[in-house]
Amino acid sequence: MDNSGDELYPIAILIDELRSEDVQLRLNAIHRVSTIALALGPQRARDELIPFLQDSLDDEDEVLLALAEELGRGMDEYIGGKDWAHLLLGPLENLATVEETLVRDKATESITKISTLLSPAQVEEFFVPLLRRLSTADWFTSRTSGASLYPPAYPQSSDATKDELRKLFLGLASDDTPMVRRAAAKWLGPFVKTFSKQHVISDALPIYRKLSSDDQDSVRLLTVEDLIAIAEKLDPAEVKEQLLSSIRAEVGDKSWRVRYMVATHFVKLAEAVGVDIVREELVGAFVQLLKDNEAEVRTAAAGQIPGFAKLLPPEVILARILPCVRDLSLDASQHVRAALGTQISGLAPLLGREATTEHLLPLFLHMLKDEFPDVRLNIISKLELVNTVIGIDCLAQSLLPAIVELAEDKQWRVRQAIIEYIPLLATQLGVKFFDEQLGNLCMSWLGDNVYSIRESATINLRKLTEVFGVEWARGTIVPKVLQMGSHPNYLFRMTTIFAITTIAPTLTLEIIRDNVLATVIALVKDPIPNIRFNVAKSLEVLALTLANKGAEGHDVAQRRIVPAVETLRNDPDADVRYFAGRALERARAGEISETTIFGVLWVL
Amino acid sequence: MADIGEVDGWIAQLSQCKQLSEAQTREILMEESNVQPVRCPVTVCGDIHGQFHDLSELFRIGGNSPDTNYLFMGDYVDRGYYSVETVTLLVALKLRYRDRVTILRGNHESRQITQVYGFYDECLRKYGNANVWRFFTDLFDFLPLTALIDNQIFCLHGGLSPSIDTLDHVRGIDRVQEVPHEGPMCDLLWSDPDDRCGWGISPRGAGYTFGQDISEAFNHNNGLTLDRNVVTIFSAPNYCYRCGNQAAIMEIDEKLSYSFLQFDPAPRAGEPLVSRRVPDYFLVSYSLPTQSPRTVSDP
Repeated sequence: MDNSGDELYPIAILIDELRSEDVQLRLNAIHRVSTIALALGPQRARDELIPFLQDSLDDEDEVLLALAEELGRGMDEYIGGKDWAHLLLGPLENLATVEETLVRDKATESITKISTLLSPAQVEEFFVPLLRRLSTADWFTSRTSGASLYPPAYPQSSDATKDELRKLFLGLASDDTPMVRRAAAKWLGPFVKTFSKQHVISDALPIYRKLSSDDQDSVRLLTVEDLIAIAEKLDPAEVKEQLLSSIRAEVGDKSWRVRYMVATHFVKLAEAVGVDIVREELVGAFVQLLKDNEAEVRTAAAGQIPGFAKLLPPEVILARILPCVRDLSLDASQHVRAALGTQISGLAPLLGREATTEHLLPLFLHMLKDEFPDVRLNIISKLELVNTVIGIDCLAQSLLPAIVELAEDKQWRVRQAIIEYIPLLATQLGVKFFDEQLGNLCMSWLGDNVYSIRESATINLRKLTEVFGVEWARGTIVPKVLQMGSHPNYLFRMTTIFAITTIAPTLTLEIIRDNVLATVIALVKDPIPNIRFNVAKSLEVLALTLANKGAEGHDVAQRRIVPAVETLRNDPDADVRYFAGRALERARAGEISETTIFGVLWVL
Repeated sequence: MADIGEVDGWIAQLSQCKQLSEAQTREILMEESNVQPVRCPVTVCGDIHGQFHDLSELFRIGGNSPDTNYLFMGDYVDRGYYSVETVTLLVALKLRYRDRVTILRGNHESRQITQVYGFYDECLRKYGNANVWRFFTDLFDFLPLTALIDNQIFCLHGGLSPSIDTLDHVRGIDRVQEVPHEGPMCDLLWSDPDDRCGWGISPRGAGYTFGQDISEAFNHNNGLTLDRNVVTIFSAPNYCYRCGNQAAIMEIDEKLSYSFLQFDPAPRAGEPLVSRRVPDYFLVSYSLPTQSPRTVSDP
């Protein structure tokens, strides 16, 4: 764009495009507005471009959104630096008043970015007046935008201005329009973070109380985060004195949406109020949320169980939380049970070995049989946590029957979760126990009717080979994999090819040469082209693997693989020819680099 | 012809559910060819209706293209949120692997229908103008109407037509046009199999309903034979994101024996775990939107 030679030409076009009839062209031009500014130079950008942008507000929302974004993206550099950054506030203030929320949000985001560049004098002279205008404008869209700009403006203002800003914000919190009160509730939290402690108590608390007793629940539910922000500013004694009744009110709100918000933020709230209040007050509140009438609230609360339990001593977890967990594992809502499924294992490290075995294991076993697959899945995918607490032996003994059962689950994602868990089990169980208990299972997945399971099964075999070694693979896995190469259905013969391709890098020269190659090369003559082009891909991997194995590997590749791929390159099917050609090319390239390395080593 | 590496790049991009730019899309469309013969083994799929994530799930179940051969029987667009990505991916796969993928025309592959059921609006939203919609609907005119697997299994989006007795009648249709409101081409894309014998009036306002006697006669006349007469396949699980149905695909192996795989919607990242239960009183007056099941009239 900024090629010096024809610099003026594209600029003329871009400026034309800013005025174009075509929305797409205007949009393109806006996205290059910094280029235009650069070409015009700072003076003209300030005198001509900014006023032009300020007036061009009568446009599609899409264009306005782009403009709001671009103005916040380092535009100050092109208009003469920080000292002039306040000029960008002009067009952005207009954008912050429009009807479309996306545009307004982007505009206030950009204003916030620019505000960090402003000097205290610029803040007082330009930013605060802007905030004043937005906050007292007639139309609610401006006031809504205004609410979001207090957090960036306040810390940079003089004390007198700060007093004014707190009052203005109280005005927004008391606004007639719920949209504005909602914005005030949303931004009170970030605003409070910039307050001195004195003003938290004198000003923030009254604003919070006003908003948290709003008759609209859509306003009240946004005050949960304000409550946390205020609590974070106070010491425990002050929290107790000032906020206890508010906490109780939020937990017991008659609207489930408010209780849902409390449940979602419960750990954060607990961390903000300090240990004493957690023990005295919040344990009861949490139990109440876990037993809420609404499934959404119970689901959200279930998500907070381990996080909250971390703040409690084990005996309190056992006495107060665990009974609720037991109830939730039988909850009528599957979503509640599924949420519990992802969280329950987080309790194991907190409870320790004995209590986990005694209290949690029975719950796992029960939930592994849940009729809703997500519950089973969530339990399985988090078992590792339990494993580290009680040891795989104990886990395997109690859970193995359930795992074997789930390995044949109707839901393929449940089967897949089990497969992914197998290599871990294998390392812990040892070869003998594994072969007896799980060997057949691992092979049966190769014949699953869902492709992803067959794929996972092949990856599993590679991981098992890494665990138990190649000799085990030669005796146990390879024969069964090769056997499937004569399956009447091409999708299953394909599995043989995929499995070989996947495990090839872990195999030795001897196994590839003596056991594997014959089967793969026989499939060069398969009647189905899909098999043949996957044979080509597989031979490519085998050739590269062999290239790693010295002169003998190189020789096997030359004698047996290259002729087979050459055959495929003359196949009647275009796809087979393509993949065979690619295989030859890559195998050659790989060979060259391998022999080069080999040669270098030889010289050394 | 775009080069193979470039098309592979498109497919990789599309598989992530990202749209291609307009110019790339145009290039794909210019290259699309006509009818391709279908040989077994092949996996037969029904409506996708812009449910891109469920198309990805379909590939997770049935295997990736080109490793698995696919026959799609139309209705790639409308209703779901990702018609553009869905139809572009399928067209790109067709372009790259013409012997491994077959895509037929459904009644939604039409200018009129897509203006009502979402594809047109989606193109406008995602590209800012209707060019992509125009390219695709122009392309749709070239899509084959039916497929015949190994001279044995007759596959099409809708069903049979009283104006068609033989496969040669189908071959004689001049198909390069917008789907007409009536006549044999319309019937092939709109008709439905029915429990009642003979021809019936379709409740959908186009095509006919036809009974088992009709499909038996058709199969007999055309030398098609198999143990089932008609199979209907629908591959959009939880249709319109609310029907709660399972989807299915039919795997036909190299000996023409077949099996069905059913599947549920793909789990979607970022969508809420909990949805408010629909109150029972709402369910009472609720009926499924008319769906157009794909028919494999399997002789």
